[in-house]
Amino acid sequence: MGIKVLVFAMLFFTLNSEARPISYSGGSTLMAFSGNMYNSLYYHFSPTYRYSVGVESVEDKFFDQQYSYFRFTYLLSRQNTENSQGNLYFQSGLSSDGLDGHFYGLHGDWETRRWFIGFNYRDVKNSLKNYTDQFLQLGVAPYLGAYGDFHTWIMIKTKKNTLVGDWSTFPVLKFFKGNFLIEFGYNDQTEWDAHIMYRF
Amino acid sequence: MKIFLAFVFLVPWLINAQDTHDHHDHHSHEGHLHEQMVDGEKLEVDVERFDKFVKGLKDKQIAVVSVKGMVCDFCAQGIEKTFKKDKTVAKIDVDLNKGKVFIAYQMNTKIDFEKIKKMIVSNGQNATKLQVLKL
Repeated sequence: MGIKVLVFAMLFFTLNSEARPISYSGGSTLMAFSGNMYNSLYYHFSPTYRYSVGVESVEDKFFDQQYSYFRFTYLLSRQNTENSQGNLYFQSGLSSDGLDGHFYGLHGDWETRRWFIGFNYRDVKNSLKNYTDQFLQLGVAPYLGAYGDFHTWIMIKTKKNTLVGDWSTFPVLKFFKGNFLIEFGYNDQTEWDAHIMYRF
Repeated sequence: MKIFLAFVFLVPWLINAQDTHDHHDHHSHEGHLHEQMVDGEKLEVDVERFDKFVKGLKDKQIAVVSVKGMVCDFCAQGIEKTFKKDKTVAKIDVDLNKGKVFIAYQMNTKIDFEKIKKMIVSNGQNATKLQVLKL
């Protein structure tokens, strides 16, 4: 299933590519994520819109470990049209535990002011086990706000981590105003998925 | 879960209602500058946004730049920050609805579309058209 998702995503984003793990030139981003597998705090800086470098502090709930990733993200492709933007990113991280701990993968999104589709695929290796972590996310904006307004996205997310097995699918809400974004979803099996982001 | 679903549908509706209300309160057609023809073409802008932008400006040139790939506030923020560093820029705003960037320059500034294109592309978007309106 994972490979099918990756192939689908790659084909899709070859036609239409864009994403958000890189800020605008000279921009910094602070992100906090909390999910069933890990909590993390991630800061990255984007010297240009093409790449970002950062540090992510991770509290790994599954392995009961704490470590950091030194991260590098590169924009492989961006396609701008009058009404849409699509991105495909390469993402990687090297663990503070040494070369045995690292990840790499792809992240992509395609977005209009009304619709959003995004995916993430990571191949993760650590000293205890190798696994993949992936998600797909679809969203719609119930109204179109102007620049500076409060923006809302209603989304559905499906995710899978090979450490725990099957796909789980759940609704997600994303709110966005100014430099601040908050996104959260709830699933009976995986409980809360929360993501907070601040750009400056 | 019921609370979550109620939140999903009610909050966006309430926020949208508030946004719409706010926009109507601030609407102004002062001068109807957006109806002026520029190089034989009508400006395709969000009227309320444009009127609000030019309100109070005098002896300025307004560059209306069409931009591809500008779909969210983060794109707009990057563009706004870039142009605010330019000392020849008196004011800037972004019209996401129509994909336009409004830039007010002093009257004696030579507006260079190639420079604007480079500034837009440095944020990952593409400028495709420039219209200049003199106030």
